[in-house]
Amino acid sequence: MNAYTKYFVKKTAWYLVTLLIALLLNFLLPRLIEGNPVSAIASQVTQGMTDSDSIKKVYENFMREFGVDKPLYVQFGIYLRHLFTGDLGTSFGLYPRKVSDILASAVPWTVGLQLPAILVGWILGNVLGAVAAYRRGVFDKVLFPAALFVNSIPFFTLAIILLYLLGITLKWFPISGGYDFQMVPHFGLDFIGSVIRHHTLPFLSIVLVAIGGQAIGMREMSLYELNADYVLYSKLLGIRDSRVARYVFKNAMLPQITGLALSIGTMVGGSLICEIVFSYPGIGTWLFTAIRQLDYPLISGCTLLIAMTVLLANFTIEIIYGIVDPRIKAAQMEEN
Amino acid sequence: MRRNAITVMLAGLLLMMSMLAACSNSQASLSQTNAQTGGKQTDSASSEPAGTASAPDSGSRPGNAGDAKETPRNETLYINGLQWGAPTNFNLLSGNPAFPINYGNSRELIYETLFMINMNDGKLEPLLGSSYTWTDDKTLRIELNKDAKWSDGQPFTSDDVVYTYKLGQKYEINWTSYWDYIQDVAADGPNAVKITMKPDNPNKLTVTESIELIPMLPKHIWEPIEQKAGNDLAAIRKEFNPNPVGTGPYKMYFYNDQKITLIRDDNYWGKALFGKLPAPKYITHVIYKDNAAGDLAFKNGQVDVSQQFTPQVWKMWEGGAPIKTYLKDAPYYLPGSMPSIFFNMSKKGLDNASVRRAIAMAIDYKKISQLAMSGYSADMKPSLTLDTPSESQYVDQAAIKPLQWTTDVDGANKLLDSIGAKKGKDGIRVLNGQRLGPYDLECPYGWSDWNAALEIVAQNAKAIGIEIRTKFPEQPVWNNDLQTGKFDIIMNTPAGNVTPSNPWNRARTIMYSKGVAPIGEMAFWNWGRYKNPQADEIIEKIPTAQGDDAKKLYTELTKIWLTDVPSVPLMYRPWEFYTVNESVWKGFPVDGDGSNIPPQIAIDGAGIKALYQITN
Repeated sequence: MNAYTKYFVKKTAWYLVTLLIALLLNFLLPRLIEGNPVSAIASQVTQGMTDSDSIKKVYENFMREFGVDKPLYVQFGIYLRHLFTGDLGTSFGLYPRKVSDILASAVPWTVGLQLPAILVGWILGNVLGAVAAYRRGVFDKVLFPAALFVNSIPFFTLAIILLYLLGITLKWFPISGGYDFQMVPHFGLDFIGSVIRHHTLPFLSIVLVAIGGQAIGMREMSLYELNADYVLYSKLLGIRDSRVARYVFKNAMLPQITGLALSIGTMVGGSLICEIVFSYPGIGTWLFTAIRQLDYPLISGCTLLIAMTVLLANFTIEIIYGIVDPRIKAAQMEEN
Repeated sequence: MRRNAITVMLAGLLLMMSMLAACSNSQASLSQTNAQTGGKQTDSASSEPAGTASAPDSGSRPGNAGDAKETPRNETLYINGLQWGAPTNFNLLSGNPAFPINYGNSRELIYETLFMINMNDGKLEPLLGSSYTWTDDKTLRIELNKDAKWSDGQPFTSDDVVYTYKLGQKYEINWTSYWDYIQDVAADGPNAVKITMKPDNPNKLTVTESIELIPMLPKHIWEPIEQKAGNDLAAIRKEFNPNPVGTGPYKMYFYNDQKITLIRDDNYWGKALFGKLPAPKYITHVIYKDNAAGDLAFKNGQVDVSQQFTPQVWKMWEGGAPIKTYLKDAPYYLPGSMPSIFFNMSKKGLDNASVRRAIAMAIDYKKISQLAMSGYSADMKPSLTLDTPSESQYVDQAAIKPLQWTTDVDGANKLLDSIGAKKGKDGIRVLNGQRLGPYDLECPYGWSDWNAALEIVAQNAKAIGIEIRTKFPEQPVWNNDLQTGKFDIIMNTPAGNVTPSNPWNRARTIMYSKGVAPIGEMAFWNWGRYKNPQADEIIEKIPTAQGDDAKKLYTELTKIWLTDVPSVPLMYRPWEFYTVNESVWKGFPVDGDGSNIPPQIAIDGAGIKALYQITN
């Protein structure tokens, strides 16, 4: 067994344990909220009934059908068994819709909101940070505090501020939803236009914060590299500035790339509150609705999706780094 | 190693975050797929659709016609306020069907009931049934309309009626409880049905209610569905039923996550009964995101009939828009239910009738009507009956007058003084060593009219030295607290629709103690666990009493209720909000137009006659 295989096996084991804990929490936490999960559907079904026996029966039937009448550990077993067959269960609140269908309809919205925001934020932020580090002077003096300021605003606060200013006060953009509600989704200019209009505010609230954060990180890393010994040495050797800059930024980019990979991993769960603020039809809004309705399967489905994507992203990065990063390689060697 | 720890923490943190999201109060809110269920209505000023996040170009499943072609505006009647989320199914037995399939409001568009309830006078008007008579004390004979047929051309017969009733005997569905009182439903030839009551538990009131409330289902369609599902209700519930076959004047035309459109059935059998077909060729219910969006569309003439709580509706016509309510002046809407607070009879302090009465006297009902109901609630006259001609006739008004409370803070303070509840240092009274408060006053979060009403009650209580705190949990939590008796004071609407079984059913919901589980288990009426053998006895007698006897019993019962104060009505609420915009369709029924068509949103019960009266 070579060093890398050992590393790989160890990591995999760790991640499996983590996953199991995440699953347990996924399952357990929603069930700790007090209240009766079948009441939403049962109270509709029992409308018009007046005798306790039939009403009770309806409640019991739903408890049975939803499997919430069994002891918790049995429910957990069933939950795991269903997961292995890819069955996330049926939503309580939107009975009888399948949780997987709901999630499938929500993910494109979340990804469509997050992916462009992450990429744009990353590219712009890095360019700005690098330029600030390299040029210093006025540019840096303005950009750095601005970036610090924006980055320290929680993006849901920024979301509410944008909503208030650009949505409610100036009425430039719609304040909620994914597209104009009266429209039937289709591929047409008017519909795409509507999607873009609804997309703007949530997108801005995420991207501004992302630009700030990236710019600060990149600036720091670049400054660190610029002061490194090899830069001074290259200069003494008389190597051209532009060439030195290339080396510097190549090195400075390494952690930024890790950061990008991580944020792509946390993409699905990254904008929960922002989505809620704008009632954007993504995972966040669904999760919120599910929590309010005590819709266990849908809550678990959302949180599972989020946990899985985070874990998967981290795992992928660790494995790749194990191969490419000489420092980790060295550590593997030492352990042997 | 470190990164692992971080990962675990991150996963945990994300979960925590998602949990925390529950506490963050924001714009998104709970869906109310059926925001309008007899009186259990949220004012959904914040009711968001259950998300209709369908990815582009999915989610439209055609009914009859297929493509989402726009229907001509002048041939389409637009309605709002009955559907807030994507259609779940069109299966009446599912328990949560989408517009226009409905149980409880006698919605006569696709399925019809035997008779149409008219909320103006409480009378039943012929539809699938042409007449009904009590042949003896236990038997109701219903003559059916010979012309009636299903939209697929099959005749409607007594077999269908028997079949529909017996579904309630077979399964736990909305009309199961009628079988507590019904012995048997049998065909009497192809065009008549006999309903026999149980000799030991007869109840004319509920049986009469059943003939205007149960939508008739075609046996030839549903029997195969039952068989396919192995007679298992859980499986039957999953039937989507995209194209329901009914006897009504409309059929499914198109639906997706944004709207539901019905098309007129030009072969409708009722042409013979009504003399013509309903005017609108199409009826569309657009699924708006929330009240605000629905109101805006209504104001702009994109909606003709609005079943939404619209604050300050008079502002709409002051601007000159052709908008009307049923009543020309305040309260604009006819009352249909009484959202009330219920006291937990087992809580120290609240177990004293004088304390409950003092709270009832402290409440500023006018302010509640103004702030919570935009003035749509008439002056509160506490009683078990609504203050309408059809209900108040059951009670001798002069006899109960001395017992009825009105807003009287001084009187409430005097009453508390007289029972020896003295104010402590903090201004809160103490009765027999028991501090009066803090009591939690509970209703679901986001039902803004209810929330506002309870805030007022809490303020009012302070003025008489009783400490009440509002508590607004999410709906499932409230529901659970209500049923299991985990509350001090809680708000709910007792039996909130207009049917032949009210006010009896309302009184029963408030006061009847038999069959109510003890605190900790689920109870489905009398949530405060009020117990009074005398009241129980009267409630059991009323269904078989007639005329003056019934009036005596009702009056007696109302006196008991006014003396014991197990609940306090806070406001009157319409059964259905009915506001019309006559930009496109003219001639909607209003009070005093001589048509006697009730404000039942032009599609429910006798309200559907409006469709034959309106013109472009």
